[in-house]
Amino acid sequence: MARISPTRGQKLIFVLYILLGVGILYLDITSNNFQSVKNGFKSFKISTYYFLNQITIEQIKHLSERSKSKKFLINENEMLKEALDLSYLNNYLIAKENNFYKDYEIIKYAAKSNNYQPSYKIAQLRSFDPNIFNCCDRHRMFVEVISDNNENFNEFMVFNASGIIGQIIHTNKYSEVLLLTDISHYIPIKSSTNDFFCNAQGSGRSEIIICKYNPLVESQEIIAGHIFYTSGLGGIYPKDIEIGKVDKVMKIDSTTVELEIKLSANPIASDLFGVIQY
Amino acid sequence: MRYLKIIFSLILINLLDKEIAGITSAYFIIFPLTFLSYSFYVYKSNSNIGSSEAFFIGLFIDLISDSFLGLNAIFFCLITYLINIYANAFKLFSYLQICIFFGLSSSAYVGLSQMIINIWNFSYVTLFMSTILNITLCILMAILSAYLPNFVKRRL
Repeated sequence: MARISPTRGQKLIFVLYILLGVGILYLDITSNNFQSVKNGFKSFKISTYYFLNQITIEQIKHLSERSKSKKFLINENEMLKEALDLSYLNNYLIAKENNFYKDYEIIKYAAKSNNYQPSYKIAQLRSFDPNIFNCCDRHRMFVEVISDNNENFNEFMVFNASGIIGQIIHTNKYSEVLLLTDISHYIPIKSSTNDFFCNAQGSGRSEIIICKYNPLVESQEIIAGHIFYTSGLGGIYPKDIEIGKVDKVMKIDSTTVELEIKLSANPIASDLFGVIQY
Repeated sequence: MRYLKIIFSLILINLLDKEIAGITSAYFIIFPLTFLSYSFYVYKSNSNIGSSEAFFIGLFIDLISDSFLGLNAIFFCLITYLINIYANAFKLFSYLQICIFFGLSSSAYVGLSQMIINIWNFSYVTLFMSTILNITLCILMAILSAYLPNFVKRRL
């Protein structure tokens, strides 16, 4: 059957829709106007996925487990795994000889301080797209913070057993975590010698953040392998926590040097996280 | 019912698209399966697809694929417009010309979408590899259609 070529009016409607699309795209990139719609849809999607998973795959799994009489052992194994993950998180916060703190004594000072609140919330991973994490600029994940109250967790730091992974930016049923590697994320960091500070930006690549500086202004030379720590100047992350090591030093031009810092923490290392506000 | 079928198919294709992207991204290749499937649906349709349908399907894809709102809506409107314009001319085109058209349109989709969602790590290697692969795949489908007409009953 022959298809009729679009009339002038239909062409005009196409142009109007394309312009509308451009407007929506521009608004979405430059502002957070559609964030609530996206988060609402995301919550719906995750809830539907878990509901369908619970009534289909989990039921089949349970049936299979029952027939093998191993359910008790499996449950116990899951509980032990969760307890082990929790202990890793605890270790991250309280271990005196862990590798995360620049100053190993810092935890002693913090414990003496009245401001220090060692309690943290546990969060379960709910949605994370590793494909987007490996390809694109937006590095986000959704977690469910286990809490009885409807608290607002915005600007809470999120960490796992390997270190800091990001901060919560939106709280809904599920909280959206902005990862350190997202290109819209900046973290103030400093060198181990406390004389070099910079705002490291996410690179859009997994495990890499980028710090740019002017070598004419900064006297200290940074070389590969140099360890960087949080400076605490942003108010979100505590200071003196190891962020990562310099992987590459690239001289862009005479006034710009770019440091590629490989992060110590990997967000996909575990599905259990700690959420804390400093 | 027709729209439900389209939406359900697009959700499935989008899931498949994500799975494929996980594998092919390691080789600097992006295969926009959702976009190509939609283009194929518009191409095979007996009547013109309207701008509203193209726009809202694009918006829905934006929502489910967690990309910027409006990105796929624009591309879907554009490809629908182009296919509607050339719908009758396609009948005079050879398989090769049609394959090149769809291969290049998917490459344009890859290039432009990467410029928006991945501008910091934009790679010409990815664009080049994706173009080659997309055109090759379209040609393979055309060959399949030409030499195995019982397997693929209708012309690509």
